Order: sequence, then structure tokens, then C-alpha cells
Amino acid sequence: MRLYEHAGKELFRQYGISTPKGVIISAASKLPRSTGACVIKAQVMVGDRQKAGGIVKAENYIAAKKAAALLIGSTIRDEKVGKVLVEELILYEREYYLSFSYDSSTRSPVLALNAKGGTGIEEAHVFPIDLLWGLPKFFVRNALLKAAFPIDEISGISKIIEQLWKFFLDEHALLAEINPLFKTVDGYIAGDAKIILDDEKLRPAERHYIDMEGDIAILASGGGASMLNMDALLRAGGKPANYTEYSGNPPAEVVRELTKRVLSKKNLKGCWVVGAAANFTDIHTTLSGFLDGLREINPKPRYPIVIRRDGPRCQEAFAMLREAGLKEGYDFHLYDSNTPMVATAKTIVDLAYATKKI
Amino acid sequence: MSILIDKKTRLLIQGISGKEGLRACREALAYGTKVIAGVTPGKGGTKADAVPVYDTISQAIKKHKDINATFIATPAPFVKDAALEAIYAGIPLVVILTEHVPTQDSAWIQAHAKAANVRVIGPSAIGIISPGKAKIGSIGTGDMIRGFTAGPIGVVSKSGGMASEICFALTRAGLGQSTAIGLGGDVIAGSSFADMLALFAKDTQTKAVVLFAEVGGSYEEDAAAFIKKTKFVKPVVAIVAGGFGSLLPEDTVLGHAGAIVSRGRGSYESKIKALRSAGVVIANTVEEIPTLLKKKLKI
Repeated sequence: MRLYEHAGKELFRQYGISTPKGVIISAASKLPRSTGACVIKAQVMVGDRQKAGGIVKAENYIAAKKAAALLIGSTIRDEKVGKVLVEELILYEREYYLSFSYDSSTRSPVLALNAKGGTGIEEAHVFPIDLLWGLPKFFVRNALLKAAFPIDEISGISKIIEQLWKFFLDEHALLAEINPLFKTVDGYIAGDAKIILDDEKLRPAERHYIDMEGDIAILASGGGASMLNMDALLRAGGKPANYTEYSGNPPAEVVRELTKRVLSKKNLKGCWVVGAAANFTDIHTTLSGFLDGLREINPKPRYPIVIRRDGPRCQEAFAMLREAGLKEGYDFHLYDSNTPMVATAKTIVDLAYATKKI
Repeated sequence: MSILIDKKTRLLIQGISGKEGLRACREALAYGTKVIAGVTPGKGGTKADAVPVYDTISQAIKKHKDINATFIATPAPFVKDAALEAIYAGIPLVVILTEHVPTQDSAWIQAHAKAANVRVIGPSAIGIISPGKAKIGSIGTGDMIRGFTAGPIGVVSKSGGMASEICFALTRAGLGQSTAIGLGGDVIAGSSFADMLALFAKDTQTKAVVLFAEVGGSYEEDAAAFIKKTKFVKPVVAIVAGGFGSLLPEDTVLGHAGAIVSRGRGSYESKIKALRSAGVVIANTVEEIPTLLKKKLKI
């Protein structure tokens, strides 16, 4: 879960990392009268907010109020601004970049540093961390020197890095980034906070659902197969209404609820239930859940439903669907692993857009 | 030959009393793999079917000195401890089925495994099968085992379902498999494509390798670099999933935790380019794979 800047900064303060003084407001009228020269920052997730117009400086209360009123409720790269963070203007000498994250290649946390922080950072010096060693002072010192940080600042910045490391581990962050870290006459201040916390710690096993703009509803199973099939659907000229993925032998209720969510979208032209030959997912359970969900959709879906599944109890499941299709009038098209997954992408596209009789 | 597991594999199952653990136990036994013991804290002294259950690995190993692999199917919050217990005991192969293991836990497991020189596969790994010899995990359950046959092709996949789908397609085309491995698609995985290629390089049974790759992370780019650096001579065919991610915002997580929409390194284009530059043949569909392999192997 990605945190908004203001929530990230609140966590930083709990770990002893200073942030600019500020207020978070959802209406310009809430701006404190005492506000002076400040920076108004839209609380959105888009990258490079400065360039996108999400960060505005103001000289006094009147200008700040005007800027806040303009930002709140506006849209920045498709994201609506609900709140703005109004912060004191920081006079700084230098800006640095610091972050902790995980790297697939080294299979470890990594410290990333750049002695020139701020907007437009492209590359950083990356230092893999051996968890068994932790983060000894000498390691941080070496890293800062290699990244060409000024020698007289090594001890001050090392302290911030230690605090950020504790935050990264204790809060189970996947990314903890300070960019920029301001160097001021009074010390170091985190100008921004980009934080991603590990969902597996927060809300394990949540189902995947991403809304898209097309008209073919997708119920794809298998992490890998679902992605491969989305690629195949696009190649066949289909427009996906969503991306979702369920796997790991889900109970029928889970599939039922996901089916309801996926098929509740308006103006669908078809539904594609697709997956690789399952290793251990009970296909009868899965498709029972699908049928239960389908029965709860109003009005009754008349569009083609193409199902390509295989795995334990698949033929039993297909017999159940054939019967329901006949009795209840669903337009099912059933395929097992003798038909390639990608071939059924073409099938659903042809049927949904009625370009060809099958 | 084959890699990782064969007829000499002596398996321990951690979390054997749970649903997935017991299923994996029955599946392994039905395939002729020797399941020597199980561990579930608090269930010591009981049996899972005919397999003796212990409270700790050290008790299990005292009785069964020949254990040389373990399969972990405990709930996610207990995986870190279970894996560290196995690494501490020096079991050389640790396969983790459990999904949704927190990234930091995986990083700790990797740090200890590296120091102890233990091979970890997973988390979120469906398992390993060396057809005709041994099976660990939930790969090819029940009747689905019909899709796996012994032969010359190594299969490595980030996705469990796709490992099977590919083996089915190979079997249908008359191409058997040496070993098929599901690596899991987490941000931090115990083993990578390059690790498996290193093992396949030395395996005389394996004549060619199929990779099922996904967007996100860098294991595909690493595999390409490995092929170039070690002059890996066996033909490699790869299929890369997740190109549709370019329609979605950067950093969107797709089918697996590690499948993250990226621009540049880690992106679909970057992976295809890296693999092609290492001489890897890219397949667009599973069905193309056997044809491409046969052409490369001239059979």
C-alpha cells in the first residue's frame, strides 16, 4: 500500500526524522490565518508532482488560500486532489536522495543514495545490504563516500539513514524514500516521503482487481497465465473490462463474489473465464462459484461466456455448466486444455463482437 | 539424471498436518517419492497417514538421518521460522509452497540460506517434478499428472499453472521433461532462472530449456546475462507474460507480487530484448514452444 506524503511524514516523525511544519487540509477555508510563505502540495500518488503542477509556492496567506482552492478538487494526471499539505518554506543549502527498497537480483534490501537529490533523479548508487550484518556504521560511511556525499556531512546523514532503516524494517516497508532530504543550517529535514508498505503484512491474500476500459469481462486464474491471456486478448483485438486473478484453489464463495464484481459492470459484450491446466485447483468448486455469481447478475447476462479450464474435476464441472446453460439460457462455450488458451482469446473476441459465427 | 530431485530424494514436509501439507504428502507418496517424516509443532507423536510427525526438525533428523529435502506448506506468518529451522538443520533443499509471505521475511530466509549454502525454491512455488523419478509439491495433482513425461526438456516457470500448461503442451508434442520447476513470482524468490540454468547446464538428460517469464524484477535480464557469460550452449525458448501492463500505470502489481509494471529495466520490452540478445528464442504462445524446440534440436 502506497501512503500519501502526509501519512508518510507522520510516520517519519515517529522515527525521529524531521519534516517541515505543516497542516493537511481538505478545504481552502481551513487554512490557518497564521500561514505565511509556504508550499502547497497536492496529496496524490502521481510521480513528479512538481512537473504535473501539483506543487505550488505561495508568498503569503492570501496567495496560499487561492492556490489551495485551485488545487483541491482539481485533477492531476487522472487523479482527483482531495487534500493538500501546506508546509513552511524551507531554506536549504543542499538536497540529497536516500531510499531503502528490495532488489530481486541481490534478493536483499538495498540502500540507494544520490548526493544530488530533488526532481528528475534518474540514477542512484545502490548498495545491497546483507541482513545478517544489518547496517553497521562503517557500511553507511563507505556508501556515503562512494556516492560522493560531502565528508563533513557523513555523520549527520548517517543518523538519518539509521532512522530510516529502523522505519523500513519495523513498518515492513517495501520502499522508504526521502527525496529531497534538505540540508539546512539547523539540520536535516525530509522534504518528501514516498512510502510503500507490504500488503502481505497489512491485509494478506486480498484478491486482485484492476478496472479497465473495455467490454470483455475477464475471470483469469493463475498469476502467470492471467497475464499471458491478457496479452493474447489484446493481440486478438479484444478490449478487457478488467484485470483480475484468482488462484490457489479458492473456495466457491470467493469465486462467486469475484464473479459478481466483474460482471456487475455495464455494457459488457462477453465474459472470458480462462486458466492454464490447474495443478490442484478443484475446477468443479471454482466453476460452481462462478455459476452462483452469474445467477445473481441482473439483468441476466445473454452475452457469450467462453470458458477454458482444465484440472481436477473439470469434466464434472463442464457437465454442470452444460445443464445450467440449457435450462437457464446461458451462452456457454466450453473448452478444456485440448484447445490452446490463446485460441479461446480469438473465440471470445469473435463471439463478443459478433464478427464471425462460430 | 535430472536436477534438484530424483529417486534419492528423502522428503520432510513442514506443516504436514495442514490441508496443503497433507495433500502434498499424499501426492508425493502416490508418485513414489519417499516422504520420510513431517513436522508440525504440537503434533509430535501423531501420524499423517503413515508418515510420522515430529514437533521439531531436530527430532525428525535424529530419527531419519537421510532427509535431504523439505517442503514447507505452513501458513504465511510461520514460513520464516519454518525455513530458518530447516536451514539451521542444514537440509540442502528447501521448497516453499506458501503464498503471501511478507517480503522482509523472504529476505531474511535468503540471507540465511546464502550464508548456509542452502538452495531455496519459492515462496509461492508450486513445486518440482522430475517425471518418472520424484515429485515435491502440488505440481500435477491427481489426474493432472498425465501431462508430465520423462524426456530432454527442462522447464522453469515463475508460475505454477504455466509450468503445467507448458509440460502438457510438450508431452502432447512427444517432448518429455527432465525436471520442471515452479520458482514462484514473488519480489524475492529463493532461486532464479539463472540458478536453474546453471544446474541444467551440467545435467546430461537436459537438451533444451523452456522459461516462463513475467514482467517485473530482473531474473530474465539476469538469465540473459548468465547465458552470455557462461556460454550456455543448450537452446532456450522463453515466453514472457505481462505486455498488457503497458496499458496500466507504472508500479501496478499484476498476477504475482513480483510482476510489477515498469518502464525501462524490468519491463516487457527490456526482457524480450535482453533474452533475444542472448540467443533465446521468444515464443508468443505455449503451442509454439514444441515446434521451436524441435527446430532448434533438429528433431
